Amino acid sequence: MDKVKIKYTDEELIARFQQGDERAYVELVKRYKDRLLNFVFRYLNSYEQSEDVVQDTLMKLYTSAHMYREIAKFSTWIFTIAANLAKSELRRLKRRRVISIHSMGFNDKEYEIPSEAYNPEKETTSSYGEKQIQQAIDTLPDQFKTVIILREIQQLSYEEISQILDISIGTVKSRINRSRLRLQKLLKELKEQ
Amino acid sequence: MDCYSFDKIISDYIESNLNLKQRQAADEHIAKCTRCYEKLADMVNLLDTMKSLPRYKTRLDFNDRLMARIDRHNQQKESPFIRVFHEYSRVISVAAAALLLVATSLFIYTSVVAVNNPSSVPSAEIRSIKPGTNIPRTSASTHPEFVNSNGENTTPDTSNIENPGYEHNIMMVNE
Repeated sequence: MDKVKIKYTDEELIARFQQGDERAYVELVKRYKDRLLNFVFRYLNSYEQSEDVVQDTLMKLYTSAHMYREIAKFSTWIFTIAANLAKSELRRLKRRRVISIHSMGFNDKEYEIPSEAYNPEKETTSSYGEKQIQQAIDTLPDQFKTVIILREIQQLSYEEISQILDISIGTVKSRINRSRLRLQKLLKELKEQ
Repeated sequence: MDCYSFDKIISDYIESNLNLKQRQAADEHIAKCTRCYEKLADMVNLLDTMKSLPRYKTRLDFNDRLMARIDRHNQQKESPFIRVFHEYSRVISVAAAALLLVATSLFIYTSVVAVNNPSSVPSAEIRSIKPGTNIPRTSASTHPEFVNSNGENTTPDTSNIENPGYEHNIMMVNE
């Protein structure tokens, strides 16, 4: 007889993990590790640090699963954890960069691009390159950066973003509009340089 | 509609979130404003590009590293010291907070007493004794060393001893 594979929702999986089923945790890790990596990578622009943040996020999921209540979607909860950890890491990296700029001189600042070994699935054919877009995202203020990544790269809904950032949907909408315009302006300036 | 108003609704225009009246006003504006039309086309292009940015994957050993961390975490949880600490963490925190409170109160109390009643705390001051000044020996007359068996004062007469020719700094203690 063929085995019937049941596809559990994220919320069902976290409920099973809360009851002690560690296989449910492994399944959640499988579903979210790359999604979280792409979110955190666009935020930090450093592959190594982003992977560490994703590890911390999933570790937090393991140790604090009991804190999850089914009033929010699981994805919203896990992205909230990742966003908070990424913000802390970005602050730490900024402090470190300031120190290294002081010790190295302004012209030696490194711009990290992930190695080809990590196999990007697609190449872009647009007039905007990935490097330019990433550079422009890096320049955005934190509040714009988070919404633009969650919306344009993670493709989350306004409602989900509103829950993750704990702001109203109206604020999400206006912030997204302003972020897009700011990003467009920055890219134009980068092109002209 | 002007360019500023169009900027404010450009995202809603792209995502078709405008009502019919707003949509018509926006359409009329971009039909005659090349700048806004180009801006809109460029924005649509940018958003499409962002959707198709390369997706990165975690390294192959990601799960192994995560599981190793979890194992370490579980081992730590099982160590008797950590277990006791976790079990009694609330009691330990309360005790530490109480101790801190007592220490702070004690410190504040002694400071307040010192301010309100300075005589209760010995104070010291440094006075300069000029050369040629007789040093008072008031307490010597009652000192047991200078009282004989009959109760008579045998303090040596020092009134003719003058302060030597150099300056002394003497710490006078007010009792």
